[in-house]
Amino acid sequence: MSNTLRPYLAAVRSTLTAALTLEDFASQVVERHNKPEVEVGQSKEVLLNPLTISRNENERVLIEPSINSIRLSIKIKQADEIERVLCHKFTRFMMQRAESFIVLRRKPVKGYDISFLITNNHTDTMLKHKIVDFIIQFMEEVDKEISEMKLSLNARARVVAESYLTTIRTHCLIPRFAVHLMNNELHGETWYGAG
Amino acid sequence: MDGSFRKIDIDQYDEDVLLESELYEPDSRDPAQVLSDAKQKAATVRQSLARGDTAGALAAVLDGAPYGPNVEEAKNLNLQTVVSILNSTKATEILNIVRVLSPDAQDTLMKYLYKGMALPGWGDVSGSVLLGWHEKLTEAAGTGCIVRAMTDRRLV
Amino acid sequence: MAPPELYALGQNPTAISSHAFNANRTEVAVSLNSNDATIWERQGHEWKQTETLAEHDKLITSIDWAPNSNRIVTCAQDRNAYVWQQSPDPQTGRMIWKPTLVLLRINRAATHVRWSPNEDKFAVASGARAIAICSFDPEGDWWVSRLLKKPIRSTVLSVDWHPNNVLLAAGSADMKARVFSAYIKDVDKRPGPCVWGDKFPFNTICAEYTSHAGGWVHSVGFSPSGDVLAFASHDSSVSIAYPGADSIVYTIKLTSLPLLTLAWTSENSLIAAGHDCQPLVFSGSHDGWELSGTLDDPNANKTGSGAARAGLGGASPVGRLNSAAFNTFRNADSRGISNVPGSSGPSAESELFTVHQNTITSVRAYEGAPGDVARVSTSGVDGKLVVWDVAQVSPISVTSNIVGRLAGVRI
Repeated sequence: MSNTLRPYLAAVRSTLTAALTLEDFASQVVERHNKPEVEVGQSKEVLLNPLTISRNENERVLIEPSINSIRLSIKIKQADEIERVLCHKFTRFMMQRAESFIVLRRKPVKGYDISFLITNNHTDTMLKHKIVDFIIQFMEEVDKEISEMKLSLNARARVVAESYLTTIRTHCLIPRFAVHLMNNELHGETWYGAG
Repeated sequence: MDGSFRKIDIDQYDEDVLLESELYEPDSRDPAQVLSDAKQKAATVRQSLARGDTAGALAAVLDGAPYGPNVEEAKNLNLQTVVSILNSTKATEILNIVRVLSPDAQDTLMKYLYKGMALPGWGDVSGSVLLGWHEKLTEAAGTGCIVRAMTDRRLV
Repeated sequence: MAPPELYALGQNPTAISSHAFNANRTEVAVSLNSNDATIWERQGHEWKQTETLAEHDKLITSIDWAPNSNRIVTCAQDRNAYVWQQSPDPQTGRMIWKPTLVLLRINRAATHVRWSPNEDKFAVASGARAIAICSFDPEGDWWVSRLLKKPIRSTVLSVDWHPNNVLLAAGSADMKARVFSAYIKDVDKRPGPCVWGDKFPFNTICAEYTSHAGGWVHSVGFSPSGDVLAFASHDSSVSIAYPGADSIVYTIKLTSLPLLTLAWTSENSLIAAGHDCQPLVFSGSHDGWELSGTLDDPNANKTGSGAARAGLGGASPVGRLNSAAFNTFRNADSRGISNVPGSSGPSAESELFTVHQNTITSVRAYEGAPGDVARVSTSGVDGKLVVWDVAQVSPISVTSNIVGRLAGVRI
């Protein structure tokens, strides 16, 4: 797996570096306004071709550049239902606190899990290559974070189930193998052995 | 009270506004001509590949690649031809091949790589192959090549 | 072999939107990413802020200083331009800069302004898909404008005057570089024919060039003779256009990030800079052009802090706290860079290996006559103003990944 992760992140890094060539650009539609053109989308000529970098069907990054802002959206790997829930909760938690992350967008672009909006103000005041590093680091961390959460969730569920079923067994005399069955279920194996 | 008038995009009636179709020079060739060119090139590429001349095959297919509206069939055919070359190249040879491409061909190849990665269904395009090519092409042609893939509206 | 002189004008890290020197280079007008322009005076090896020109109420985008008539023109995103002239203050008798509003008649941001060579006109580029050509009307005692409109389809990003005071080049976001006639009857004498044409009524389009791969044209420039036009566009390319019957356009595609600004140093060379943070030198003639090197010597001793670097150049940053400890805390505060106590300056990985630490937005001739420029000045988003010796061209190493190649000729 990790042998495609490196070129994937390298491709995101180089594309993002190329896209972060922003400048101050006042709106040519509304006078005395200055807004991120990628969000407004009213002047076609200042938007550039959106580029997608994908590692496989479930992991991709969309970069939409414009003259004064870029939007970067990430589709995070979600292998099963638990990862889907965890990913949703995790990105929601971050996006509700978007102002502390500065470049984070409050809503993801359709079809993606999390989006960043980087404007010329960010590239003016922060070091450009540090912004790129931040995004890359985020992409590395988020996968790790979600699989760790999944592990601890499973471990916790196992402990809960065990202690709960132990109580039931002593009181209701459920055969011991039933506990094992349920344990296995939590490990992703099924009692009918198809696993 | 009817508020639908508020949602009318009045800017579309601005006569100075730049339209999508005016952003680039259209292909001067006739769509049918483009398609037959693409077919011809696919045949040439097969011959070159059979001879083991990957660099020549790639240069041939990237030269005069179809772009713009009305040539979807030719575009798809050309993409398939490019992908078949990309898939049949050994990872160790990639760098030498992209180095000898002309700057124009490098730019076009970069467009195809991004197009391949953006495809919703994958078919015979493999992510790791495209990423491998992307890495080598960036090494040879720099970020300027990626910038041109963004700015050039002549989408392949 | 003096290293480039570096001055940090912006309070870290305030961008310098634009800079313009006066005729003898003792004063410089800059705008530090704000609504005000500031005048700085050279005092030995330092620059000291002497005056603030406050009239605009939106970001100032461009400044130009007419060397002979000693007038400053500023334009901003508030759709206005002001001409500033020195006059004595009625109370104190000191010379102060007095603004005159210009009737631009544009309804979007002004983006770029340049005095014409004779200093009797100036051109203001704008987001209103127009260029305002302004001249002084003595009867009304104000600056009036005429608009160049057709066929501009998007924001004009830059303008440059032809030495004959009539022709004007403009680069815009609709991916075109154009040459217009900005002939105004009351001001100009009828110009003689040149390579761009014979007759020049107002708003004649003498030439139109499209950028190679569809990038916005960030910067345009006439060569010192006015017979050649260069433009830099967002597709990381520089094009040099020779007009006439055998019209040739040379396009140099770069492998690095796009260029934003360019200045001719002689008839056969120009300097361009941009997102790559270093000034590149291009040279050539009617037979072809190539990237010949960079002014930013990659092997020069680069030390972390601006103070040390400035010390090398015999200049020091201007009146502000700049000790190593201050830098450490400032970086920790604004950039999240933590340093091991005792190490001086920011860590190596957070510094670029170029003199400018962020995008260069402006490069202008500093010393020498047009056609024989000895030094150029650059300013950028990192708040630094640097003066470079154009003779000190370093070859571009393969490792630095900037190799320009001639992409071919379009006729």
